Amino acid sequence: MENMEKIKTTAVKGTKAAQKVRGFVKNIYRNAQEAKAQGKKVSYVMVSSHYDEILRAMDIVPLPTENFAGLCAAKREMDRFLLKAEEDGYSQVLCSYARIGLGFDSLRKELGGIPENSPDGGMPMPDMMVGSSNVCDPRFKWFQATGRFLDAPHHSIDVVKPPVHADLKAVQKYYVRYQQEQFEELIAFLEIQTGKKLDKERLWETLRLGDEACRLWHETDRLRVAVPSPMPSQDRFSIMVPAYYYTGTQEAVDFYRELYEEVKYRVDNKIGTAGEQRYRVLYGGGLPPWHTLWIFNYFESFGAAFVMENVYRVHDPVEVPSHVKDPVEYLAWRTFLRLTSSHEKAKANTGNIEVERLLDIIRDYQIDGVVFHACRSCRATTLGQIHTKNRLSQYTDMPMTQLVSDMVDLRDYSEAQWKAQIGAFIEALAGREKTA
Amino acid sequence: MTASVALEELYQCRSKRAQALHDAGQKVIGYFCCYVPDEIIAAFDMLPYRIQGSQNEPIDEADVHMETMACPFARSCFNLALKGKYDFLDGVVIPHTCDTLEHLYIIWQETRPLSLTHFVNVPHMLGPSSATFYRQELNTFIVALETWSGQKMDTNKLREAVKVYNSHRAALRDLYKLRKSDPPLVSGAEVTKAVVAGMGIPAMEHIELIRTFIAEVKARLQTKKDQRPRIFLWGNELDDAAFIRLVEESGAQVVMDDLCTGTRFFWEDVPETEDPLDGIVTRYLNTHCPRTNLPQAATREADLENRFGHIGRFVREWRVNGVIFYIVRYCDTCELEGPDLREYLQGMKLPVLMIEDDYSTSTIGQLRTRVQAFLEMIA
Ligand code: SF4
Ligand code: SF4
Repeated sequence: MENMEKIKTTAVKGTKAAQKVRGFVKNIYRNAQEAKAQGKKVSYVMVSSHYDEILRAMDIVPLPTENFAGLCAAKREMDRFLLKAEEDGYSQVLCSYARIGLGFDSLRKELGGIPENSPDGGMPMPDMMVGSSNVCDPRFKWFQATGRFLDAPHHSIDVVKPPVHADLKAVQKYYVRYQQEQFEELIAFLEIQTGKKLDKERLWETLRLGDEACRLWHETDRLRVAVPSPMPSQDRFSIMVPAYYYTGTQEAVDFYRELYEEVKYRVDNKIGTAGEQRYRVLYGGGLPPWHTLWIFNYFESFGAAFVMENVYRVHDPVEVPSHVKDPVEYLAWRTFLRLTSSHEKAKANTGNIEVERLLDIIRDYQIDGVVFHACRSCRATTLGQIHTKNRLSQYTDMPMTQLVSDMVDLRDYSEAQWKAQIGAFIEALAGREKTA
Repeated sequence: MTASVALEELYQCRSKRAQALHDAGQKVIGYFCCYVPDEIIAAFDMLPYRIQGSQNEPIDEADVHMETMACPFARSCFNLALKGKYDFLDGVVIPHTCDTLEHLYIIWQETRPLSLTHFVNVPHMLGPSSATFYRQELNTFIVALETWSGQKMDTNKLREAVKVYNSHRAALRDLYKLRKSDPPLVSGAEVTKAVVAGMGIPAMEHIELIRTFIAEVKARLQTKKDQRPRIFLWGNELDDAAFIRLVEESGAQVVMDDLCTGTRFFWEDVPETEDPLDGIVTRYLNTHCPRTNLPQAATREADLENRFGHIGRFVREWRVNGVIFYIVRYCDTCELEGPDLREYLQGMKLPVLMIEDDYSTSTIGQLRTRVQAFLEMIA
């Protein structure tokens, strides 16, 4: 740390690339609204479902309902949708993204059109809805539920992942096969909805683009091991947008190339983000507090810079066997390999994929402390944080803290409590610095 | 001792029998939910034990390991494990029912390691390819049991287990049918206790107890028809009779249910197929649970019928007057299913009361007023 302070650096705020993302977000909704007007097919989707490139290849315009929920929160426009869903019988503890989506659909039905002043013009009526069991339960159940408020066909797929202790060689064949069949069943559904066949060459093309964007993003992440940190965590919550919401497009590839070059330039020239980077902090997991993103500046004011994140992860590059000649089979393999990329390593060491990944980051990115964000209504990204934290402390004595709120619902957030917790965390960082 | 007393004892002291068998050298395998086939465990001469929580004990130790926004039923089960109350288990099997159990598998595995901790992936979709995948997962489970026990799976024993568990189901169905009449011959609280009492004892022992209990009930002096509304319960984990007792004390009869600890668990038989695994796969995969999505039907009406038709049939046959949802909080799939089911039931002109609870008897008292108001409305 001592040395780090001495390094003379130029400081800038976040990356320029991140500032461009606002346009990407706006275009999600504009594209969907225009597509509707032109009679193109629009689908509600759950991003990062591993099927994303299929939709692109079939010219289906994706409308990511989770993003819309996050957008509503960032603009503090979520309350009327949350309340509407609760009025319709959805529990206050149900995933708040789902509540916003359901509330929005319900209001749109009631009003006979998109509710006035919806962020970015709101979501038009989809022609279909495609969910998946990847990541969590609400992501396949929510679209079934919203069938109360809109008349659009729904299809969800399973995305399966073996547990860490599985004998991968023994299960690989049937996991890949099921995954492929799930994609094929989805394609059959999409062909009916669009009235046209999937062009496999187009799918190869979108897959190639998807892989390339992923590779560039992955390499950018690797650059971020640099001291001083060239890109703050806040940026990830923006820069993930092209990869997640524009999967399989040239736009996404161009974006990550630019990002890579920008970050590389900063690293080469030792340009760090603004403020004193006294402590390097890892965002250990959980969805971001969309309602209170300024909190990162608060950390920075104490010299704590977030340099890496364990959310919206980019997949490790994987090698699909060369005998695979069909793009759907390729996708199934890629899914399996991506989802199991850390299994063997974890099995050989800590036995826990999450702990293994975090320890790698802590080592590679010279982390001084970890902050988790627990979202009361998101079980998938929250549950297990305490356990992970407990397990991590078997390997490191660095300060760790878990802030609790929700990704969008402000009723679960207390500023006073957070500030007190952050204060204690910073003190612990300082204390450890002294003893070191 | 009458069967009724024996069942009450087993209900109060749920692990006693399993503990004794474990002490005598039999392997006891604990599992969660409705997706781990009893038949497979029993075919290895091991005792399947459906893990339950305790609505009476506060969750005190689990919070050090698990967020409080996880399903309190799962937290309670784990809490008991931490306190050593599941030390008689030789192994534990956790199916991928929901997000909570998926995480619990890792937490359990690393906090209370047993020589066998196994995870079974269960498809969330019921499409043409789902059965093959689930079958392979069950095969993997069988291989795990074989490796662990050093014993080979015997198909004849599996076939035999299917027969035994089907008779177990038949006995439980007969028990449930005692509430078809007006007034029901037996209370809802008694039935739930009798079912829960058998979740961790050998099937044959439970069948005998249930059969004797049915005879005892039939020999009781029958009361006259009364005006009490007949209630159907829907929800997830309700392994304690306290809530049902509350409903019944408030002036209703609980006559039928669709709960993880009720009909969802046992109603449908396993078809007796040439390869017993075929029947097992079909039966377990088709369990009517909100965590599984059926392919969407052409119209909303047909879709609701497809998803909830079995409940519609129960409601008609058991002449139900009102429905209460008992949802253990933080169960996302149940929370998302509830409003759809309410729409379906209201289409049948049935009033619905939606209750979300913490899986704790200490909060049940607070529900009394709501239950009473609901029952008054029906009456
Ligand atoms: S539960 Fe979490 S991961 Fe799932 S849809 Fe909601 S926010 Fe997304
Ligand atoms: S009650 Fe719901 S959340 Fe709890 S274990 Fe069952 S399915 Fe999972």
